[in-house]
Amino acid sequence: MPEPILQLAGIARDFYDGRNLRRVLEKTDLDIYPGEFTILAGPSGSGKTTLLTIMGLILKPSEGSIAIRGRAITKMSESALASLRLHNYGFVFQLAELLPALSVMENIIVASGIQGRRVPAALRRRAEELLDGFGLADCINLRPLQLSGGQKQRVAIARALVNEPAVLLCDEPTSALDSESSAIVLDVLKKLSRDTNRAMIMVTHDPRVFPFADRLIKIENGAIVSDTRTIGQPLPGETH
Amino acid sequence: MRSIVALKILLYDKATTAGSLIGVIAIVFLVGQQLAVLFGLFTYMSVLVDHSGADIWICSKNTLNINATDTLPERYADRISGLPFIAWAEPVLFGNATFITRDGKAESLQVVGLQPSSRALWPWRFHEGSVEDMLEDEGLTLERLDLGVYGDPKIGDVFEVNDVRMRISAITQSIKGFSGRMAFTNVVKARKILKTTPGRCKAVVVKLKPGVPLEEAIAGIQAVLPDTEVMSSAQLSARTRIYYVKNTGMGGSFGFSTMIGALVGIIIITLTMYTGVLQRQKDFAVLRALGARKSDIFVIVLCQSLIIALVGIFIGFLLLGSFLNGTVDTNLPVYMPRRIAPMLALGTLLLCMLGSLLAVRKAISVEPASVFR
Repeated sequence: MPEPILQLAGIARDFYDGRNLRRVLEKTDLDIYPGEFTILAGPSGSGKTTLLTIMGLILKPSEGSIAIRGRAITKMSESALASLRLHNYGFVFQLAELLPALSVMENIIVASGIQGRRVPAALRRRAEELLDGFGLADCINLRPLQLSGGQKQRVAIARALVNEPAVLLCDEPTSALDSESSAIVLDVLKKLSRDTNRAMIMVTHDPRVFPFADRLIKIENGAIVSDTRTIGQPLPGETH
Repeated sequence: MRSIVALKILLYDKATTAGSLIGVIAIVFLVGQQLAVLFGLFTYMSVLVDHSGADIWICSKNTLNINATDTLPERYADRISGLPFIAWAEPVLFGNATFITRDGKAESLQVVGLQPSSRALWPWRFHEGSVEDMLEDEGLTLERLDLGVYGDPKIGDVFEVNDVRMRISAITQSIKGFSGRMAFTNVVKARKILKTTPGRCKAVVVKLKPGVPLEEAIAGIQAVLPDTEVMSSAQLSARTRIYYVKNTGMGGSFGFSTMIGALVGIIIITLTMYTGVLQRQKDFAVLRALGARKSDIFVIVLCQSLIIALVGIFIGFLLLGSFLNGTVDTNLPVYMPRRIAPMLALGTLLLCMLGSLLAVRKAISVEPASVFR
C-alpha cells in the first residue's frame, strides 16, 4: 500500500455570508495517492471547488488537518504554504488565467522565479519540451492574446507541469472551451492521467473524462456522497 | 523574475503606466520649477553680497537685510585694516535711486558706486562696454534684461537719476537685484545720486588673509567695532534671504505652490497605480495561487513603483533642464543649486513610494482563491 501524498482529516469549511456562518464543506476525510487520477463531481455549489482549493493549500479549512507526505501543514504560515504550493502543486484553472503581459514561455516559467530565485536553464528546456509535446513549439514568444482558447489552456497545463509537481489540480479545465479545443485539451489530460507518479485531481462535469479516472468522488451539499475506484482498480502500486 | 514581471506589466498597461509617469513628471517639473524660481529670487536678494568677493561684511547694528542697512563711518575700514588677519578692508556705497525715462516715467534702480582702487562689488558680466566705460565721469551701467523698462536706451543716451545727469556707458548681462535693478557708476556720482553724507558708507567689506578662521576674525573685528553688525558673507546672504521670505509672504506662497505640485503628483501616482493593481488583481491572484508569497507581490508592485519613479524622474529632469536652459538670460529668476537636484530626485522617489502604498496594500490583499470560480 503506497503512502498517500495528501491526507485530509476531518476537514470542514465555513463561510460567513454577511449574516450567518454557513458550512459549505462538511467534515471530510480523504486520502489522495500518487499516480491516482481523481475526479470530483457534483452539482454547482456542492462544495467541490472548496474541497479542491483546500487540497491546493489555497483555502484554509475551518476545522481538521492536512498533511502532505505525512507532514502536517495546517499550522504553517501563508508564506510556507505558498512555497509548498510552488514546489509540490500544479494548477489548471477553469480559464487559462495566463498573464497577458507575459509571453507564453514567461507564463510557463513565471512561478519558478516568482520567489526571487533564478530560473534554471533546465526549466526553460523543460518548458520548451512541454510546449513541443502540446504542439505549441511555434508559440513560445507569442502573447496569450494571440492564442486560441485551447492553446491557452494547453499553455496553462504546461505551466502547471513545468515544475514536475507531485499533485496536479484542475478546476473544470474544459468547461470554457469549444468542443474542438476541449477535445484537444482532453487528449492532453488523458495522457497525463497515465503518469503513475503524479496525483491528479480534477473538478469536472465532462463525462468524456470519467473513463480515464481511477477514482470518482461525488459531492452533494458539501459532503462526499460516494467515493468509488472506477473499474474496480486497485490503489496505485497495489498488486492483485 | 519579479522585476521582469513588474516591467512587463508596466509595458503592457500602457495607459496606466503613462498616467503614473505623468504624476512623477508633474512632481519633478512643478516642484523643481517652483524651487528654481525661489532659488532664482534668492540669488537676486543677496546678489550684492554673493558677488562681493569679500569674506566679511560690517553693517549697521541689527541689520537684517543688505538692502536695508544704515550708513557707517568710512573710517571704520581704516580702524580694522591694521588687524593682523585682514588682507584688505574698504567702505562700499550702494543704495536705491529713481531713474527717469524719456517719457517721464520713474523706475527704481539700485546704484553701486565704485572707484578704480575698489576691490569689491565690481559688475561681473558685461554685455556692452567695460569697467573703464563705467567709471567715466557721468558713466552708468544698465542691465540688458531691464532695458525695456527704461525705454530701450542706447549707449551714450543721457538720463536723470535722482536729479543727477547720467550717461549710459555700459550694459551689464544678467546682473539682477531684488530691491531694485542694478546699476554701477563711479563713487563720486554714486555719492551724489544717493545723497550720502561725506565720510559715510553703506558697509565695510573685508577680505581675510588666507587660512584665517572666519569665526575668529569676526569676533576680532566685532571687538574693535562693537556698535556694528559683523557677519560673514554667507551669514548676511542667508539673513537677507530669510528676511524677504518671512516679510514678503514669498515663503508661504512658494511653499504652498511646491506642496500643491507634490500633492497633485502624489494623487495622480496613487490613483493610477491603484487602478493598475485593480486591473491586474486577477494576475496577482494567479501568481499567489501558483506560489507567490505576499512579499513577492509586494516586491513586484514596489519594482513597478521604482521603475515608474526612475523613468519619471529622468523625463521630469529632462523637461526641467530644458526649462532652466530656456530661461537663462531672461527676466525669469531661475536658479537650481546643484545640491537641490539630488534632493528633489530623492524626494520624488519617496513620494512615489508613498503614492504606491495603497496599490501595494490592495495587491497583497488579493485572495488566491478568487482565481477559482
